[in-house]
Amino acid sequence: MDYGAMDIDQVGPRVIIRESFPNRADFVLEHVDLAFANSLRRTMLAEVPTMAIDLVEVDENTSVLADEFIAHRLGLIPLNSKQIEDVLYTRDCDCDQYCENCSITLTMHAKCTGDEIMKVYARDLVVAEPRPNEWVGNPVITDEAGLGPVICKLRKGQAVRMKCIAKKGIAKEHAKWAPTSAIGFEYDPNNKLRHLDYWYEVDPIKEWPVDDRNASWESEGGPQQDDETFDYNAVPSRFFFDLESIGNLEPDAVVQQGIKVMQQKLAAVLQELAGDENRNGNAGGDGFGVQEPDGMQGGDYGVDQGYTTPYVNPGATSQWGGGATPYGATPYGQSGWNQ
Amino acid sequence: MNAPDRFDTFLLGDGEKKVTEVADTRIPSASTFTFNKEDHTLGNLLRSQLLKSPHVKYSGYRIPHPLVSSFELRIQTDSTLTPRAALQQACRELVSDLSTLSREFTKEWELRKMVGDGAKGDDKDGKGKVPGR
Repeated sequence: MDYGAMDIDQVGPRVIIRESFPNRADFVLEHVDLAFANSLRRTMLAEVPTMAIDLVEVDENTSVLADEFIAHRLGLIPLNSKQIEDVLYTRDCDCDQYCENCSITLTMHAKCTGDEIMKVYARDLVVAEPRPNEWVGNPVITDEAGLGPVICKLRKGQAVRMKCIAKKGIAKEHAKWAPTSAIGFEYDPNNKLRHLDYWYEVDPIKEWPVDDRNASWESEGGPQQDDETFDYNAVPSRFFFDLESIGNLEPDAVVQQGIKVMQQKLAAVLQELAGDENRNGNAGGDGFGVQEPDGMQGGDYGVDQGYTTPYVNPGATSQWGGGATPYGATPYGQSGWNQ
Repeated sequence: MNAPDRFDTFLLGDGEKKVTEVADTRIPSASTFTFNKEDHTLGNLLRSQLLKSPHVKYSGYRIPHPLVSSFELRIQTDSTLTPRAALQQACRELVSDLSTLSREFTKEWELRKMVGDGAKGDDKDGKGKVPGR
């Protein structure tokens, strides 16, 4: 295969960042092949770990919504996942069910006492201390009023009281752990490689508009000329990414984490291959910092099914007094959940 | 109902190995590697990296069943190195490429942050289009 041409000035991948925003990164990846770019895309979409609520203990729910309905909504709330390396996977943790090393507890406690319909927002989730680091588990709130997404609405006299356990996970298991809402991915916008065969009524050029920004970025430029000969050996080597983060990780962190996850996958393969050669199966601590899930299986997962266990926990004296919520100083007083 | 558990797609079962090699009995220097709990992300990546090596004659992967998360990677080399060595080399090359990419990305992102800090103030939602280049 002819890779000589591209190796003249530089070896290895090259990145050009075209735009960067708090929740978006638009970059061009060059000097890599299609498989590499696509693997990076797939990893960033599905295998970057984040935090999300995974267990909900319902103490009280007199709202019009069913327990599991609210539990589902809670699961989808983005939680800050900065430096998530500090959090263990629950399945890798030594604890019985969950603990502060592998989970973050958020409590939601709200009652409507006025005549108006009251909305419960993500900001009303109170994060319990201690936790692995100062950011992880905070609900992501980006609106100007600082409310976050609505969880439910309450009428006079209705109340919700729930204990939510947030865990670390990946989007392959459930989409609530996804770090990105979407990743735009394009190569060869002018279709010079003819990977696409457009369906059209009259004129494919009119009916399939190109992305001008990506198309003009290609140095070859311009649409296919009729007299141009088709280079059937050409391979794509420039990829346009447009990554939109949900807010739990910064866009650059999503890319970096994606790279790391890919390296860990490869390291796991290398370790296995090297281990086999020594004929002792598991060579163990050789060079690679493989964070692969160890033998742990099954067991812990049974617990996850209990989304809506109406399990009252009198021992849990969460710091309910902490005035983080506007409802903190209401009927339930300061001293934990009224028992 | 009988759908496999979601975590079965990425957690190795008890005693399950990540990779196993079965040498081909009819062709010299050919092996089939079975990867457990992996998918196209790794399969296609390794396949294409192996093809870049001048010593690899054949490299291809397949996913035998869509509900079973494993893939088979078949490698044939010109006997200067074993299929296993070729695979190890491909993995190492990819790890180093990814490190380069990580470094490059950090560099470019920092650069971009320095340049862009003044201009991006009003466009919080990031929907605004700034002409490229």
